[in-house]
Amino acid sequence: MAAAPRLLLGFLLVLACFSETCFATITFSSLPRTLVVTASHPQRLLKAGEDKITVRWGLNQTLAAGTDSAYKSIKVELCYAPISQVDRAWRKTVDNLSKDKTCQFKIVKGPYTTTNQSSEWTIERDVPTATYFVRAYALDAKDNEVAYGQNTDAKKTTNLFEIQAITGRHVSLDIASVCFSAFSIVALMGFFLAEKRKGIKAQQ
Amino acid sequence: MSEIEGSPGSSMHGVTGREPAFASSVASPIVPTDTTANFDLPVDSEHKAKKFKLFSFANPHMRTFHLSWISFFTCFVSTFAAAPLVPIIRDNLNLKKQDIGNAGVASVSGSIFSRLVMGAVCDLLGPRYGCAFLIMLSAPTVFCMSFVKDAGGYIAVRFMIGFSLATFVSCQYWMSTMFNSKIIGLVNGTAAGWGNMGGGATQLIMPLVYDIIRQAGSTPFTAWRIAFFIPGWLHVIMGILVLTLGQDLPDGNLSSLQKKGDVAKDKFAKVLWNAISNYRTWIFVLLYGYSMGVELSTDNVIAEYFYDRFNLKLHTAGIIAATFGMANLLARPFGGYASDKAALLFGMRGRLWVLWILQTLGGVFCIWLGRANSLPIAILAMILFSIGAQAACGATFGIIPFISRRSLGIISGLTGAGGNLGSGLTQLIFFSTSRFSTEAGLSWMGVMIVACTLPVTLVHFPQWGSMFLPPSKDVVKSTEEHYYSSEWNEEEKKKGMHSSSLKFAENSRSERGKRVASAPTPPNSTPSHV
Repeated sequence: MAAAPRLLLGFLLVLACFSETCFATITFSSLPRTLVVTASHPQRLLKAGEDKITVRWGLNQTLAAGTDSAYKSIKVELCYAPISQVDRAWRKTVDNLSKDKTCQFKIVKGPYTTTNQSSEWTIERDVPTATYFVRAYALDAKDNEVAYGQNTDAKKTTNLFEIQAITGRHVSLDIASVCFSAFSIVALMGFFLAEKRKGIKAQQ
Repeated sequence: MSEIEGSPGSSMHGVTGREPAFASSVASPIVPTDTTANFDLPVDSEHKAKKFKLFSFANPHMRTFHLSWISFFTCFVSTFAAAPLVPIIRDNLNLKKQDIGNAGVASVSGSIFSRLVMGAVCDLLGPRYGCAFLIMLSAPTVFCMSFVKDAGGYIAVRFMIGFSLATFVSCQYWMSTMFNSKIIGLVNGTAAGWGNMGGGATQLIMPLVYDIIRQAGSTPFTAWRIAFFIPGWLHVIMGILVLTLGQDLPDGNLSSLQKKGDVAKDKFAKVLWNAISNYRTWIFVLLYGYSMGVELSTDNVIAEYFYDRFNLKLHTAGIIAATFGMANLLARPFGGYASDKAALLFGMRGRLWVLWILQTLGGVFCIWLGRANSLPIAILAMILFSIGAQAACGATFGIIPFISRRSLGIISGLTGAGGNLGSGLTQLIFFSTSRFSTEAGLSWMGVMIVACTLPVTLVHFPQWGSMFLPPSKDVVKSTEEHYYSSEWNEEEKKKGMHSSSLKFAENSRSERGKRVASAPTPPNSTPSHV
């Protein structure tokens, strides 16, 4: 008789696991900060499409050996600083990593090695104007995040850098725009005047 | 009785109330056919078509219909073209939520004014040039998107593009010169619904075009600008087609337009006062703001909502958003049809109940949409919401012809403006601040729809009653004649200006529903000279 409620509990637990869509939800607050990340770049407003950022990452050497036994790969991402998230819910920081929108640009992804690594990244041309920091996630064999590191402090206030986006405008686009607009107006006026003249001629 | 071409309300004159609002043809004894005319469709003495043949392009009647609704459709496409691309635009122009919301408000505000001016433009230039002028002069505003570099520019350009929605007026005006007044209800209703579909089609077209341009190698922040050339070209192409293929009147062009002056012109000030002093006008202005208005608001926010909330790709979000606007194909005519069917059984009370039910259900499904956490439920809720809101739009115009006979045009115009005002207001309150997340905004908008639909319970006609109250017991006041002729004063009645109102009143007895047969005809109601 005691087995029945236990079975029920077990069943409910299994259901609860399935309700999380069969994955354990990974939260950011559960990740240990074991990686050390630095980003170096020219000390001015960076331009998308032109400037380069050099990112260095590696395990914090003060930690015990074997901390990184589960780390199989690394992904380094460009993330929005809090000031660029104000009034922009599409960049919101949420603890549940599958719903978190803080980091939307991939800098580099590759296998994890115990030695420190670095990568030089040219800022892509679809990066918007905002203030950023760099974060690295260590992933296990199943591509789940197991640890992280970032070049800023826990409150995301230090070592931030600003990137200026490309405008997306081109002289050729502007010229095409003006040409088609002019065509529209001229065609309209042309038709109107031509028909008016025809009307006057018909009356004469 | 001959009428001033295109005077306010003239497009609806002839809708007597006896026929269903959506008749597709009118038989010979009622309106005699002009047998000397050589047109593809049977025509009346003014050479306006008596029949509505949907899949024909024959000159001039059906060709006008297609040119007209496609022009209106094009303007909807360009007005809402930015909406599905907002996820890209907001990053390029560094927009905040307020900027996106304000741009949405701006996109629907411009046409409030342009629609008022458009009537006068059509009077001066005729509907063909009215349409062509508007669509070709607003083409540069669409091309201007390639210059925009910040929030201010974005809002300004969307405001200017929004002016083009006044093609609604030229569309309805042009049809009234081509189609007999007894079938004009269906013709105009179809054109309006199909034009509104543009708001849905654009959510499909723009992400598709954007994707193609990206495949061709362009970077996102340039690709969306190039994508705007498509609606721009559509404007120019439609403008040229209207000018070359269209004509103002069945028999020819503007130069033969003559104003028939043998009827005393009604004074605009009086017509306006009659409209605004009727409380029912304002209730329907409010109501339309929460059926058409919420449809326009949703056109502006729904693609971005699906993109962000469910992490979809841009074109997937666009396809889902498109089904919202495309439901207009059937939902809006369905609303009119349901209104007509209810009127057959229950008269005006049936029409009012149908409107309240459809619009309230739309509101309930909108609340559900905001609260839906999974994609399939959200899509289901959105589709049900779209059917409710758009059918309510159709049902609204099943009632509007009966509010007033004298001021029908102005009331229709005010109602239309109410739609845009409601849209601007809901976007301002719920979608322009960070106070509400978009899902909360949708749910609160649903609550507001339900609340703002309640005033329809207050609409009372002395001759037909209201949703809960029976018609007036007073023998004189409970007649249709009394209601419609009370819009004129004694002096005007002496001149016989109210004669068509009396005819309308007689035919509107069908709004008593099944009680028509038992209604006694009051004495001295129909003057013998009508």
